[in-house]
Amino acid sequence: MTAFIYTFGATGRVSLNALYALSRVCVLMVETINWTLVQPFRGRGLRMKAVVFNLVEYGVNSLPIVGLICFLIGAIMAMQSAYQLARFGATQYIANLVGVASMRELAPLMTAILLTGRSGSAIAAEIGTMKVAEEIDALEVMGLNPTKFLIVPKFLAMLIAIPCLTILATFIMILGGYMLSVFALGVDSDLYLNNTARALQMKDFATGFTKSVFFAVVICWVGVYRGFQVEGGAEGVGKMTTSSVVTSIFLIILVDLVFTALFFF
Amino acid sequence: MNDTSEHIIEVRDLVVKYGDRTVLDGLNFQIRRGETFVILGGSGCGKSTLLRNLVGLMRPYSGEILFNGRDITTMTDDERIEVRKRVGMCFQGSALFNSMSLADNVALPLREHTRLASSTIDIQTKIKLALVGLSGFEEYLPAEISGGMKKRAGLARAMAMDPEIIFYDEPSAGLDPIVAAGLDMLIRKMQSTFNLTSVVVTHEMASVRLIADTVCMLNAGRIVGTGKIDELERSKDPFIQQFFERRPDEESDTRDDYIRSLMGIDLPGNAT
Ligand SMILES: Nc1ncnc2c1ncn2[C@@H]1O[C@H](COP(=O)(O)OP(=O)(O)OP(=O)(O)O)[C@@H](O)[C@H]1O
Ligand SMILES: [Mg+2]
Repeated sequence: MTAFIYTFGATGRVSLNALYALSRVCVLMVETINWTLVQPFRGRGLRMKAVVFNLVEYGVNSLPIVGLICFLIGAIMAMQSAYQLARFGATQYIANLVGVASMRELAPLMTAILLTGRSGSAIAAEIGTMKVAEEIDALEVMGLNPTKFLIVPKFLAMLIAIPCLTILATFIMILGGYMLSVFALGVDSDLYLNNTARALQMKDFATGFTKSVFFAVVICWVGVYRGFQVEGGAEGVGKMTTSSVVTSIFLIILVDLVFTALFFF
Repeated sequence: MNDTSEHIIEVRDLVVKYGDRTVLDGLNFQIRRGETFVILGGSGCGKSTLLRNLVGLMRPYSGEILFNGRDITTMTDDERIEVRKRVGMCFQGSALFNSMSLADNVALPLREHTRLASSTIDIQTKIKLALVGLSGFEEYLPAEISGGMKKRAGLARAMAMDPEIIFYDEPSAGLDPIVAAGLDMLIRKMQSTFNLTSVVVTHEMASVRLIADTVCMLNAGRIVGTGKIDELERSKDPFIQQFFERRPDEESDTRDDYIRSLMGIDLPGNAT
């Protein structure tokens, strides 16, 4: 009986905590959207300089690592499919497999996971450090809104950077598959390109693109939310930064599942 | 001079809780325009908490905080922003924005709240930094300057919008006696040149004697005495006597060491 009550209470507490977190995230979302879409048109302004600064940080500076990893994954995918397809003498279909898998799934996912590690954690650490050092309080005392000042530029930059990176990553991944197939497996170059072009449809692009937009939202909000959760000192910053990466990757996979299912039909 | 009978801040029945724990329990006091009001009290008695309430960073559990006659606890966000333009705050850890140079730190509120031309803002920034003795350090980052300089830069930033009132949270904590005394003089100077109201939280008896017009003594979430420093020194209240005589609580030696290390400079002649 006590075990039952205990389980019951624990479940309740967990769901209450989850509900509370959800409500906090909702408040954050409403505030951010308000300061991104509504307030700038009431003459409150947007900090374009900060947006550009963050855009360079999240987008341009991530390009080398995203490019490298996606190229390698494209090549790996080509090899793995060749392993199966060679048995049927169908190596020219590597192009279809690599193309569709890159565009629909792997390019958005890899970009999002890399950006989580690179920029999502940085957002959590930056906001957490500012909170610990009372910089957020200082902003408020000056009458400057932390949402407008800190979150909106990051949010906008993320929202632009990730879809753009994803599109580039798709091409690079396909290029990786192409290079391996043509130079290592001896697939005909024109055949490969033709097959890729025929395999890819608008719907595939829409799937990948939609996913990438939602991934951007997840990465930014998890980073911000965890950053504001930081209590205490440097230790708290470290803890919340780690937890931002874990939460973010989990939610990215979840969102991925939902959208893959939606576009399946 | 402004009418000295007019109060810039009036606190009525202020109760502040963290969860179920009451930290401030029914405070009542007034701060006159143009005076230096010092909040004294033992560690952890809620001085920083009181300051956070006075600047509106926290909502009290109950009670009123009137700023120029208007209650800031019930204001809308927009009204509160208007009030905050007229308030400056120096944080205990200075809270400078680490990614910005000192000049940008000071210029930030001007850039965001006014439509001044950027050349005007540059000049204003230079003036404010010169005021606290930091000319020539405009382009330094907060990480590149010392703790005392950070405190002064924090003061320059608090002064940026020409506020009516400045709050200082332990301005001289962690500084050597000479720098601490310099900061006291700076607080005095701000008050006399600009007729600023200053609200100072501090532990340092030496600086209290130097700067305070009115002292407010807190203990266990309540006010145990308010008045001029010599009035308080004559008080019969056991806590106030203990505080001024620097007598330790019976059981703890470490606290004695702590207070002694903080007040080792308790000789006004030496400090200045
Ligand atoms: N965020 C918080 N959550 C819960 N309790 C808090 C919080 N901040 C402060 N307290 C508690 O409130 C009390 C007053 O804290 P406060 O920081 O105001 O003290 P203080 O007088 O400024 O001390 P010090 O002189 O050491 O800075 C402390 O006992 C502390 O435990
Ligand atoms: Mg304090």
